[in-house]
Amino acid sequence: MVKKEVEKLLRKVQKPARYTGGELNSVVKDKNSVKLRYAFCFPDSYEIGMSHLGLKILYSLVNARDDAWCERVFAPWEDMETLMRENGVKLYALESGDSLCDFDLIGFTMQYELSYTNVLNMLDLGGVPVLKKDRSALAPIVIAGGPCVCNPEPITDFIDIFLPGEGEEVTNELIDLLIKHKEKGSTRLEFLRDAAKIEGVYVPEFYDVDYNEDGTVKSVKSRETAPEKVKKRIISDLNTTHYPKDFVVPFIDVVQDRTVGEVFRGCIRGCRFCQAGFIYRPIREKSPETINNQCRAISNATGYDEISLCSLSTSDYTGIDKLIPMLFDWALKENINVSLPSLRVDNFSDELMEELKKVRRSGLTFAPEAGTQRLRDAINKNVTEEEVMRTASKAFEGGWTAVKLYFMMGLPTETMEDIAGIADLAQKVVDLYYRNPDRPKGKGVTVSVSCASFVPKPFTPFQWEPQDTGEMLIEKQKHLLSGVKSRKISVSYHQSDTSVLEGVLARGDRRLGEVIYKAWQKGCKFDSWDEYFDFSKWSEAFAECNLTPEFYANRRREYDEILPWDHMDYGIRKEFLIEENKKAHNSETTPHCRIKCSACGANKLNGGKCDARK
Amino acid sequence: MQGNKSWLDVRMFYEKTGMAKYISHLDTVRCITRAMKRANVPVWFTEGFNPHAFLTFAMPLSLGVESYCETVDFRLLEDVDLTELTERLNNALPTDITVKRIAAPVFSAADIRYAEYEIIFNNPDELLLKNAHSMLSSDEIIVPKKVKQGRKKVEKEVNIKEHIRTYELVEKDGRLILKTVLSSGNTVNINPSLLIGALTKDTNTDSQDVDIIKLKSYTENMEIFR
Repeated sequence: MVKKEVEKLLRKVQKPARYTGGELNSVVKDKNSVKLRYAFCFPDSYEIGMSHLGLKILYSLVNARDDAWCERVFAPWEDMETLMRENGVKLYALESGDSLCDFDLIGFTMQYELSYTNVLNMLDLGGVPVLKKDRSALAPIVIAGGPCVCNPEPITDFIDIFLPGEGEEVTNELIDLLIKHKEKGSTRLEFLRDAAKIEGVYVPEFYDVDYNEDGTVKSVKSRETAPEKVKKRIISDLNTTHYPKDFVVPFIDVVQDRTVGEVFRGCIRGCRFCQAGFIYRPIREKSPETINNQCRAISNATGYDEISLCSLSTSDYTGIDKLIPMLFDWALKENINVSLPSLRVDNFSDELMEELKKVRRSGLTFAPEAGTQRLRDAINKNVTEEEVMRTASKAFEGGWTAVKLYFMMGLPTETMEDIAGIADLAQKVVDLYYRNPDRPKGKGVTVSVSCASFVPKPFTPFQWEPQDTGEMLIEKQKHLLSGVKSRKISVSYHQSDTSVLEGVLARGDRRLGEVIYKAWQKGCKFDSWDEYFDFSKWSEAFAECNLTPEFYANRRREYDEILPWDHMDYGIRKEFLIEENKKAHNSETTPHCRIKCSACGANKLNGGKCDARK
Repeated sequence: MQGNKSWLDVRMFYEKTGMAKYISHLDTVRCITRAMKRANVPVWFTEGFNPHAFLTFAMPLSLGVESYCETVDFRLLEDVDLTELTERLNNALPTDITVKRIAAPVFSAADIRYAEYEIIFNNPDELLLKNAHSMLSSDEIIVPKKVKQGRKKVEKEVNIKEHIRTYELVEKDGRLILKTVLSSGNTVNINPSLLIGALTKDTNTDSQDVDIIKLKSYTENMEIFR
């Protein structure tokens, strides 16, 4: 419910439906009948935030309680923010229209490092003191979860509580606790002391960090009720945990606007560059029946005409051959399209291809990630050139004419030869198409090469590696372009400065809090949007804090250095990561978890169970 | 079903008011398509490579305009009770989009010639109050209008006076209310924002602090479009 003073602004902004609320399946409760109000904040635009599955799960989970009301808050676009600030309108939640500062619990999901400044901006716009030391009352409590909080240190100045791992259980436990303390009239400190006792709750103010003279971490010591190490939470059984029966259906076009069926968590692959592949372990699968029922319920409740399956690598799902026919059985009759993202080339079966032909055909995407076999071995992307060619060949026979190839640049051990290999591989795919007698008649092929810049992340075997500098990346980009000879190949890549900042924030320590604060004061926000990103402001902020991005990004860390995130326990053993790092430098591969368990340690989080080895 | 046709042509009459005025035309189309699905309306789908519900909207409504006279045509593949269908659709639609009735169409969408609007200036300044009458009664109201020239769109000065069929100005509680019938339809269509722009141009009235409400659509003979 939008308030009168807000409605006046809506006439002057782009896409006003971002700010109105009132979408189908949005939940409106009587605020006087609930004991706790929770503002779920996504620190980016409405279109990005409304595409996020985690938001949908937690929104529905909290709203299933009678004593709490969860609402949604997104970062307003600049035109709206300007008008809000000019007219003294605070950032509000879409369901009630009430200001952020009126809530008991404010939760941010940290999906990417470049959204940090938006957190500060949203708190400020919502009338909440940006620095946690300036917040003295019991409420609001600002919490954060999501993949970035595996290293929460750079944003500890702004967030009271971090929830590493999966949120379904701990969110409810924290809500119960806050309700209890509100009723008792406790102080903030009393609440935080109790919260720190819950497993998977990290209260940063109970940890003291000391630094060596060279700027590395000397020690991290816990105080009060806080454990020495904070263990991430996981959901043991995905078949019984909460999953939404409906989604809020946006009026405007958002990035992911369809039914989403989550098939499993974790990944068996162990690609060494991939943070998600490690921090979401161990593997836990849902049964095909559960997924089918959940998709059907959501499709009925939303009217969506498309279903997508979501996981880190959907074709690794052991129930895929059973699930696809189950979904097709009803979906096709109801004119609902089923799309399967993140398919890997190495297990793309003939049967799956046949099934895929029944539905609308989208482009085909492969991610070889590196241009040569040596480098693919080093990063443990166990895909060979023959496999890429074989699958592409099958795809061309099946009528596909557009192929997207995803690569990374700046990978550890990479040489210019590996960069040239990217162009060569793309060229081989083009040549393959024209050699194929069964290719679609009268059509050309398009091969789109998309090159991301590698960013070393915590809890991966590459967490100790130096990141390429902006100059090195630009040189590699030029080298790649010079190697592309065919007009059938298009190349796109990321801005190199953004990758550098992402790397700094990903592996940073607490001292970066001041840098982020200064950058935000200088006007930095929406850093993941090229049109807003301003590296010169960030550089000024670093200089004013006597810190350099190079210290965080381009330095090789020793195995025995205390890393800023060492007190976070994600199940993965450090010795395992060191082992993997050494193997990378010898271009040695590690078989995936279904072939052989590498004893990463994550199964301990689930009582020794891991669905990779059922 | 009538005769030997295997479907029934129907027209749905609905209102789009309140916050729903901020939903653009394309988003409205999608919203209603999804509502059809949720309400299990046996609507005919196109049979091409990309089957989709076949819906025909009479006139797109501009963003920010409320309307009491929206219509969409579709084909029903099964005999269903139209009153019950209305109810089902209302349960599947957001609150500010309300189906009033579903019935067999009387006119063709191409028969629409006029539309009646209520235009409310919430904060008219002295100049607007003084000049509105004389401007509306003058022979010429020249506005810049985007028109097609071949394939290109160019801005041209046009006189919209002849497309204002009737108008009535009322001052009430500090607001200025203009009720007017403008040319509408697929040959000549006058967007009320053109008129608002012309009226507020040389004044200090905020042209965005205006409520626009579409009340009715009419045919050539001023019969209400049904």
